[in-house]
Amino acid sequence: MPVVPRPARPASLAASLLASLLVLTGCAGSGGPGGSASDDTPVEGGTLVYASGDAEPTCLDPHVGGNYPQALLAGQYLETLYTKDEEGKIVPWLASGAEASEDGLTWTLTLREGIEFTDGTALDAATVKANIEHLQDPDTASSTGYLAVAKIKSMDVVDDSTLTLNLSAPDSALLESFSMPWVAIESAQALERSQADNCAAPVGTGPFTVSKWTKQDSVELTRNEDYTVPVDGADHAGPAHLEAITWKFIPEAATRYAALQSGTVDMIDNAQPDTIKAAEDAEDIDHLDAPRPGASNRIELNSSKAPFDDAKVREAFIRAVDVQDGLSSLFFDTAERSYSALSSVEPMGYSDESAFERDPEQANRLLDEAGWTDRDSQGYRTQDGKRLSLTFPVSTNQSVPAEQSLFQQFQATAKEVGFEVKLDLLDLSSWYDVLGENHYDLVSAPYTKVGPDVLSILFHSSNTVPAPSGYFANHAQVKDKKLDALLEEASATTDADERQAKYTEAQKIVLEGHYLLPLYDQQNHFLYSTDLHDVGAMTAVASPTFHDAWLAK
Amino acid sequence: MAGQTTSDPTQTRRSSRGAPTAWRPVGVWLARRAASAVFVLWAVATLIFVAIRLIPGDPAEAIMGGPGSQASAEALESARVDYGLDRPVGVQYLTLLGHLATGNLGTSYSLKIPVSEVLAAQLPGTLGLAVGAWILAWVVALGLALYSGLGGRGASAVGSALEIAAASVPHFWLGSVLVLLFSSAWRWLPPVSNGTVAGLVMPIVTLALPLAGFLGQVMRESMVTALNSPFALSARARGESEAGVVLRHALRHAALPGVALSGWALGSLVSGAVVVESIFARPGLGRTLLEAVTLRDVPLVTGVALVSALAYVVVMALSDLAERLIDPRIRGR
Repeated sequence: MPVVPRPARPASLAASLLASLLVLTGCAGSGGPGGSASDDTPVEGGTLVYASGDAEPTCLDPHVGGNYPQALLAGQYLETLYTKDEEGKIVPWLASGAEASEDGLTWTLTLREGIEFTDGTALDAATVKANIEHLQDPDTASSTGYLAVAKIKSMDVVDDSTLTLNLSAPDSALLESFSMPWVAIESAQALERSQADNCAAPVGTGPFTVSKWTKQDSVELTRNEDYTVPVDGADHAGPAHLEAITWKFIPEAATRYAALQSGTVDMIDNAQPDTIKAAEDAEDIDHLDAPRPGASNRIELNSSKAPFDDAKVREAFIRAVDVQDGLSSLFFDTAERSYSALSSVEPMGYSDESAFERDPEQANRLLDEAGWTDRDSQGYRTQDGKRLSLTFPVSTNQSVPAEQSLFQQFQATAKEVGFEVKLDLLDLSSWYDVLGENHYDLVSAPYTKVGPDVLSILFHSSNTVPAPSGYFANHAQVKDKKLDALLEEASATTDADERQAKYTEAQKIVLEGHYLLPLYDQQNHFLYSTDLHDVGAMTAVASPTFHDAWLAK
Repeated sequence: MAGQTTSDPTQTRRSSRGAPTAWRPVGVWLARRAASAVFVLWAVATLIFVAIRLIPGDPAEAIMGGPGSQASAEALESARVDYGLDRPVGVQYLTLLGHLATGNLGTSYSLKIPVSEVLAAQLPGTLGLAVGAWILAWVVALGLALYSGLGGRGASAVGSALEIAAASVPHFWLGSVLVLLFSSAWRWLPPVSNGTVAGLVMPIVTLALPLAGFLGQVMRESMVTALNSPFALSARARGESEAGVVLRHALRHAALPGVALSGWALGSLVSGAVVVESIFARPGLGRTLLEAVTLRDVPLVTGVALVSALAYVVVMALSDLAERLIDPRIRGR
């Protein structure tokens, strides 16, 4: 999932200006008794008020488009064929199992029986088929789920609970794909409605249903009284403890936190480093840190043109910038440094700290070797009269203020060895335009997906070719035949050990080729009132679900 | 302005006769207003139509999932056909004008529902906020002007300082500080709208204070000038009390520039609403505009712009009327 739009923040300057004041008021405001519920018996009823800082979805059906804000909401009313257990293992949910043929081209999917959608229709093989067809229909305009089921060529309904999937090529990531909310299963009857109707109130099997959507304000979710089959590992069976959820949209980080402090809301997402720090001292607020799966947050170095077509210059940049200092001063150590192309929650992630050790002397030596030996009057290196200049377009919708400040610090440390870094703050559309035109040397783009197959999306040479809209995912523009072969083999194998070995080797090529500078996991912090208990259940993409949660008030 | 400072409109009223023929200028006035309203709306629609085509980017992409969508070439092509984007620009322009003339604002690219529906849902929120802020701004500004007028030199200096402070505070800063103080630290007011009057306090104050500062500045200036005018002196000579001079004579002068600035005040309220609605998470046209621009939702941006233009036309007409009521010298014009 490439796009994680956050609402534009006209007042983000205010947020950073007032960060220190916030810390002060955070301390002052934590007078409540807090954590008083010593009793662990869940309380039935009550309405959870959740405030999201993510952009309000334009459609509540995550099949359409497919971004993280949709996944956050959909986790409450839609469920998936597979999911992730607490150890990060992919386990069946609406499905009871799946088996691949020897050649990996045919999968037999079996479904749990007796599951009903909230419109009363039953979950069966035909429903799953209709959902995959819905994702593949161009009119649905699915960007994320569509890619996840791209290799499914045709489907045969064997009986009510058995579906055969015929693939165009083996896909070792299929079950991981089935665990993502963008491939959630909806009522086939509901999918037949117009897209506008389905967007307004998708029908699933989840513990809540969409009852009302007041645009720009909130989505009202009501308990599904007939809910029977929770995910394995849930604390209880049957309907949720909470009677309802009011899902509000509060784009401003400071307002969101104030709403939590004042008790207007019970839980917030997109908590920023300054707020997390402030909340540490608040007795009535708890913190949940849930890194997103898929790729780590990283800076990609565009290897398709000068100066980064030279691996020495790429390594010089990576050795020059100081990441750790910024994590302490700007993120208050709420984000842990990553040395991997993959998120720390990905079991197949490969980490190599030595590839990213800061060493300005080595950086200088590398630049000298690469022929960038002269310096101009401003101290930047030059070659044949051309300045060593890097263009760094930054999407203000995808980079939080702390991250933008971090990039500004990179500007300063890169200058010490003679790089000029030109930061360009852009809105999402302009940012995609610049990438499509190949007018960038550095870029940071989040990508959430379940499983290591995200490596194919980010580094396979075929993904340097833009879609009609100009979008492509291989921003480092890595074109390496050996890497391509490894990624294809990893995708085709049915053997878990072989898969791991191939992906590890692929990650080594990418890290040793100096194509990227990993920063930290995709940050996903939640703060919630201590009145809210048994929080922590997550979908496979680390969005919270509230089947077990209850309010002590 | 110069004429207003030396003669008192309350005095000229006595010499104004010929009220029976007043309907004729009113009819002409109305016709002229209506014509200018149509022109303004046409100009806004045309400007946006041209501007959108100068921005790089494919509107079909905005329809098929927004920035970064991975829609196929076929999907984009079918969106172009569905929304008439495959036709010549001239035809698209005339179609747009034709639709606008019949009140059809088109379908939102991102929400896939009629723009008029989105606007109808979001207008009340912004209208309530803007009207509330406008009233509060006038009350504060008039209060400051009266305080300055009646309180002498010292009060005038204090009033001036307060006005400058209020006028120079940006909305986003004021809003954030209010949230931090009244919600985070003291927990007196909810930071977001919750359906109660308390939830409206901070948004309205945030939007009103900078406007009150500006209005207060111009009002106080005219009031002080009026109080030093010969007509004020003659009123005092007739035995009018100082309060009477201020309330009966100078206040009218003070209000005039404020009324004349109404169009500008509306602009300030609309641009302020974008910020205030985001900070306080209030539904409204400001946030709609912000999101529509981010998603390049052309019909929705056009719709919000047209509603703002229409509001501007109406406010200008009302302020013209108000000026006529306050200042009899321009009634015949």
